[in-house]
Amino acid sequence: MGLRLLLGVWLSIVIILGLALPMVAQPQQWYDFPIIPGLEEKARILFFHVPTAWLAVLAFLSALYYAVRYLRRKEHLDDIKSSAAAGIGLLFCLLATLTGAIWARFSWGTYWNWDPRQTSIFVLLLIYGAYFALRSAVENEEKRASLSAVYAILAGVTMPFFMFVMPRILASLHPEPLLNTEGKVHMNGAMLAVFLSSLAGFTGLYYWMWSLQVRSQKLLAHHELARGGHSRD
Amino acid sequence: MIDFLSQNSLFVVLTVVLAIWLGILVYLFRIEKRITRLETELPKSNAQEERGV
Repeated sequence: MGLRLLLGVWLSIVIILGLALPMVAQPQQWYDFPIIPGLEEKARILFFHVPTAWLAVLAFLSALYYAVRYLRRKEHLDDIKSSAAAGIGLLFCLLATLTGAIWARFSWGTYWNWDPRQTSIFVLLLIYGAYFALRSAVENEEKRASLSAVYAILAGVTMPFFMFVMPRILASLHPEPLLNTEGKVHMNGAMLAVFLSSLAGFTGLYYWMWSLQVRSQKLLAHHELARGGHSRD
Repeated sequence: MIDFLSQNSLFVVLTVVLAIWLGILVYLFRIEKRITRLETELPKSNAQEERGV
């Protein structure tokens, strides 16, 4: 309970600081954010949008890890952990797409324009959407776990290409290449501190959501097993 | 609404934050639904077990 309360307080502070700290041309105070040319106030989105994309990556890698573990040990719990991670990954991938589209409306003038970054995340959504379609299509529990583990590994291997490589090899309107020749957001100490705190807070949130999902799915699996056993008796 | 957001970029960021929390809330509601289902079904199966059904 204490850790969850701390997480709530931590994320609340991150949101307040991310929205309220002043953004000035020449930062003088330790709490001033620099103005990022071309983004201005909208640059604050990076405290919230980037962690959602980070959580999607973390969750998909976690799904890959537990899928490999399932294939090696054939333990049902690994399948539960892998699918729970993939579910959270899909949720945060969707949120990254949605928050990016909101930002795009006010920076590019349209919610969607098939920019390489948008296209690649859309493909990722389709890939992981298909993962859940596959899971729901197979009735046999063992077969479903094995097939989805293989699929999660294949999807996890292609994920870095769509998340990191494709948007960088094609010309994109995504902020990084627009800002300067190095293609980087120059954050000062205050901005970096809020950004890293946000990443840490969201990572804690991911772990909490994942463990809730795993615990509830484990209970459901036990219950269904017991019910199946009774009906067979 | 769109005009207001175009002129007040900070509210665009606020909209983004709210969208994220909405997504997380929907997710939590789904888990809650599953747990509620378990809470209603478990006592029934426990009772069946006690009766030896």
